[in-house]
Amino acid sequence: MKVIELKNVEKTYNDSEVKVHAVRGVDLTFEEGEFTAIVGPSGSGKTTLLNMLGGLDKPTSGDIMIGGTCISEMKGSKLIDFRLHNIGFVFQSYNLIPVLTAKENVEFIMQMQGVPNKQRYLRAKELLESVGLGDRLNSRPAKLSGGQQQRVAVARALASKPKFILADEPTANLDTKSTENLLDIMENLNHEAGMTFIFSTHDQRVVNKAHRVITLEDGAVLSDEKKTPH
Amino acid sequence: MILSIGWKNVWRNKTRSLVVIIALVLGIFGGVMTTGIMNGWIAQRVHDCIYIEVSHTQIHNPQFMLNEDIQYTVLNYDKVVSTLDTTKGVVAYSPRVKLFAMVQSDWAASGLVIRGVDPEKEKKVSEVYQRLIEGEYLGGSYKIPSIIIGSKAAESLKLLNYQITSQKLDSIDKTLYPQTVIQKLKGIGDKRFRKDKDFKVVLKETLGEKDYKKYADGLTKYFSFYRMNTSIRLTVQSKNGAIQNPVFKVRGIYKTSNLMYDGINAFVDRKALNQFTGLSDSEVQEIAIISTDNETGIITGEKLAKYLPENNVFTWRKLSPEIAMYTDFMWFIGYIYVGIFLFALAFGIINTMLMSVLERFKELGMLMAIGMNKLKVFTMIMLESIFLSLTGGAIGLLISAVITNMLSKSGINLSFWAEGLESIGFSSTIYPYVTFDNYIIVTLLVIITGMVASIWPARRALKLNPADALRNE
Repeated sequence: MKVIELKNVEKTYNDSEVKVHAVRGVDLTFEEGEFTAIVGPSGSGKTTLLNMLGGLDKPTSGDIMIGGTCISEMKGSKLIDFRLHNIGFVFQSYNLIPVLTAKENVEFIMQMQGVPNKQRYLRAKELLESVGLGDRLNSRPAKLSGGQQQRVAVARALASKPKFILADEPTANLDTKSTENLLDIMENLNHEAGMTFIFSTHDQRVVNKAHRVITLEDGAVLSDEKKTPH
Repeated sequence: MILSIGWKNVWRNKTRSLVVIIALVLGIFGGVMTTGIMNGWIAQRVHDCIYIEVSHTQIHNPQFMLNEDIQYTVLNYDKVVSTLDTTKGVVAYSPRVKLFAMVQSDWAASGLVIRGVDPEKEKKVSEVYQRLIEGEYLGGSYKIPSIIIGSKAAESLKLLNYQITSQKLDSIDKTLYPQTVIQKLKGIGDKRFRKDKDFKVVLKETLGEKDYKKYADGLTKYFSFYRMNTSIRLTVQSKNGAIQNPVFKVRGIYKTSNLMYDGINAFVDRKALNQFTGLSDSEVQEIAIISTDNETGIITGEKLAKYLPENNVFTWRKLSPEIAMYTDFMWFIGYIYVGIFLFALAFGIINTMLMSVLERFKELGMLMAIGMNKLKVFTMIMLESIFLSLTGGAIGLLISAVITNMLSKSGINLSFWAEGLESIGFSSTIYPYVTFDNYIIVTLLVIITGMVASIWPARRALKLNPADALRNE
């Protein structure tokens, strides 16, 4: 089933002196259950493309359909609400709320969705256990390692039951062991729960795990390779 | 959870928040104390004005207000009295003979307003009898009738004397005055002085500059006394125009918070005075009326004005317009002070909140990215600002409440400026108080300050583009 469709998507920034074509004429489709890495050198348009997939940026032209809904024309609170219910985010720098515990960070997103108290608690507990942090429910981010914080971020991204998860350089600030740990968890979630993951990454370890690798160069798709992961 | 995040965010940077909170505590304390002091001061002035000077309502002959002549007595006295006896809202009334007299003691003369009263009725209307500092009130049975005068009038008539008696020297507080000073005072002897100026000159010569500066005021007060039972002669005009010179004995001296009042007003028994004025029992120049409270006083006064149109019936608002002004306007002057403090403090809160928002751009971008809408972001920042303000406000109010409560019992002693304050009718001891309404309004002002101070930082946050904010490393 198609989760995301991009039709001739372009993004141009009009600087005062020069036009920058960050993304040019991209046509892509993402199916449910994909584990896809978007790679390319700096300035290739990875982050811009990911931001548009997440509704954080609007294409200059073209359409982006998510679950059959066109988000390219959506604005304001409607777009924010759509993100809340359909898209999960894992950022490069964890971006947890520092004053909340791990459990509260995961519950937070469900509270915004209006999930009742007891249900929130149970789901948060279940998700944190699934990422191996069942014993750290009441720890604040400052008390967690980098890898643990990123796992909380994954649990939070899953909490809203999104159609897919966007992860922008999720392993950039992690050591080798934490990276392996995190990727294993994500792969398990992809395999067992069928969660769709789309990464933007420089990390070869992520590329190795990916089932599909899309290479961007100068804003355009250079190659789109489906492969058997290592 | 936005409430929880807002509260926890306040304590992210404890030092910064505490600085703002302390500023709020001091500002609120200052504002509330100012309100309390103004409340206390005004309450005292209004109370004394009504329960000593003008009462709630007064009735006069219309001609008397233009020309205070003895002949202009209250019209239809019997009708007035029966109306007063049957009107709801009249708690008590006191008929008064009111005339001007030259008063002469053996050493000085002064002009006074003499009020001839029925002592028991007068006690229900005026608190002068409670303000006696020397002697007794009217009502005793004496061959020469009594007169009660104010402390300032007593001074004008040279009834306040100074004398270092051996009795007083023996009982002087030796913890306040060293033995050397006491020994020196013995040298003055028991000469009586009628002026404080003369007494102080002798003190200075005896004690020397240093001891004089330190002890003169206390010693002058200690060795002062009023010459009670002194005869004074009044010069009054009777009803038929004849000049009369009755003699009265000063048997009571009162002191209020209004020096001017004390310097002008004297009280005698009406029956004793009328032996010389020729006025009958039903001939009075003034009737003073007291009601249950100030508002009822106005309503009752207006009612009486309708029932007694032939007389002038004036309420305290007309008799004392400055008191009316105090009660109408001064109640919110305290709030203006609080408002000014909060306005200044708001800038501190804005600064703190702006710094807090600018530091958290990435976090705010993340929150918007994962689905926190603008209203929630705005609410979260506003709540942080309100929590910050309320924390400082609550502590400030609590400290104010405790201190005001203590001071409302002990009073704030401003005796250093007693003479100046009493010359305009204000007591030198203030009993501040703050009402429940005051606390509620100050709390609301604090909340409004928090809300208003959050607007700029919150708007700043709302302008964030999540994509740009997340890129911000």
